[in-house]
Amino acid sequence: GPRRPPARSPRAPKSLPGVERGPGCARGLGTALSPVLSGACPQGSRAEAEAMEKELLEDYRFGRQQLIEIWGHACAVAVTKAFPLPSLPRRQPTLLVACGPAQNGAIGLVCARHLRSFDYEPTIFYPKRSPDPLHRDFTTQCEKMDIPFLSYLPTEVQLINDAYNAVVDAVLGAEGTEGTAGTEPCAAILATLRLVRIPIVSLDVPSGWAAGPGGSGDISPDVLVSLAAPKEVARRFQGRRHFLAGRFVPEELQRKFGISPREYPGSDCVVAL
Amino acid sequence: MPGPRALLGLGLLVAAARAGGRCRERGWSWNRGWERDRCLPRRAMHSPGTARPGPAGLRFLGQEEAQAIDQELFTEYGFSVEQLMELAGLSCATAIAKVGVLGGRRGSWHCGLSCTSASSKAYPPSSFTTSQPAVLVVCGPGNNGGDGLVCARHLKMFVSLLGYQPTVYYPKRPSKPLFEGLTTQCKKMDIPFLPEFPAEAEFIDELYGLVVDAIFGFSFTGAVREPFGSILSTLERVTVPIASIDIPSGWDVEKGKADGLQPDMLISLTAPKKAAMHFTGRYHFLGGRFVPPALQEKYALNLPAYPGTDCVLQLT
Repeated sequence: GPRRPPARSPRAPKSLPGVERGPGCARGLGTALSPVLSGACPQGSRAEAEAMEKELLEDYRFGRQQLIEIWGHACAVAVTKAFPLPSLPRRQPTLLVACGPAQNGAIGLVCARHLRSFDYEPTIFYPKRSPDPLHRDFTTQCEKMDIPFLSYLPTEVQLINDAYNAVVDAVLGAEGTEGTAGTEPCAAILATLRLVRIPIVSLDVPSGWAAGPGGSGDISPDVLVSLAAPKEVARRFQGRRHFLAGRFVPEELQRKFGISPREYPGSDCVVAL
Repeated sequence: MPGPRALLGLGLLVAAARAGGRCRERGWSWNRGWERDRCLPRRAMHSPGTARPGPAGLRFLGQEEAQAIDQELFTEYGFSVEQLMELAGLSCATAIAKVGVLGGRRGSWHCGLSCTSASSKAYPPSSFTTSQPAVLVVCGPGNNGGDGLVCARHLKMFVSLLGYQPTVYYPKRPSKPLFEGLTTQCKKMDIPFLPEFPAEAEFIDELYGLVVDAIFGFSFTGAVREPFGSILSTLERVTVPIASIDIPSGWDVEKGKADGLQPDMLISLTAPKKAAMHFTGRYHFLGGRFVPPALQEKYALNLPAYPGTDCVLQLT
């Protein structure tokens, strides 16, 4: 995909890099009026992402654990594409996976487990564990895969730079708002992530970005893995690789939410934008 | 029971152009792109009726062991059926996609001929017509059926890759949220569910390019309730290839069944069961890439390494 978001004229319809939207977009008019076209939720917005998730859970009857498994697995595949094993600078294929307390963190846990099965050596930092039994199961699965859990994150950034090849940011994702981005322990994690020199892979939305542009205060991920569809904030992404994990989205939903269809290589669940 | 044409007229069944020519040697060919006379040669080392050993050290599990490992995944390792079923179904669809795609795109592992048509796609989207080849996924009453539902959904997502439209036959549906959810997911993705099973093997041969057998798995104990007895008799007479999920249905999980189903493909999940030693089809895949290293060690599974991030590993 393009490295910089295309310049927008003030009256052009909202459109994300790579997404084609003509005026009066014909796609999706066969079914219920697209929430995007009806103005109910702008494309790429948090409201839209939530609407799609709701439809997947309630209409399509996907299970939440099923979805998190699908997303986490796709994120792991994207990580291996961005950082193939032979390309890693360190002798050991170590990765730090920073997991927040909510769904984005759970996706990080599943991602870590799949990375382990792909022969990477993830280490998880999961300071604020969700009480949700679903997330507890994900934690157990990781523990039983012999994935170490750090008891604290070193504030001395050089230790992180030296120990890991990259960091997977599964801290806040789209859930970050002005409130949560500033609370502990996420605030401390983000403060450290801003300083690391090794590449960051953000899952869905770079943590802290959803709270609004923070200028130089934001983390700068090298890789972004968008889930289902790129979020609006992805426009600000200027890293090296942007992947979309959207193969699982049923065609009808793609049309309804104005997601342009993409060709996924082979049977891959992610595609490079 | 109406013939296939009448059913097509009712719009109940997807029309299926025969996928490619019939292979003289085997009676079928998956790859539409191949010329009529070219068929995938049987690998020299295999002959019907010979039990085939796997890679060195790979263990073939007994039924109790398979059940024990399954239980341990849920009770000790914290997995849910929902999770593992999703990964298992994905493996099945991926294995089918690997074999069903024109050889040139995937390298020449399954043909002794050098495949140089890497530049051409087997099933470009522009070639979609209503007479697309179809896959019939027959789902049984338990978890094997659930694996089949997940497989069908992924096959639907692979339509532009594989060219096959999945259709499901699911006569006995457990009233549990897991299976209801999987069924809804398929239906909402416009995967048709047949109201009746084709009465004759010939109808299946005419309408489908492939049958996925997701009827019985490793918990099968020999008691076949209707309608599955009749279904299996019919499937035993089809000539289109059958891909069985985990255990060829109707087989004893350890001893096989010489006069039973003879699938062309077997996707063993987690680890192969002893029945797989009696498998004489062409393609044996391992899937279900979720077994934690500690569990592999405990049962000395000696699983070979999966390639890269693939969720399937071809054993033969």
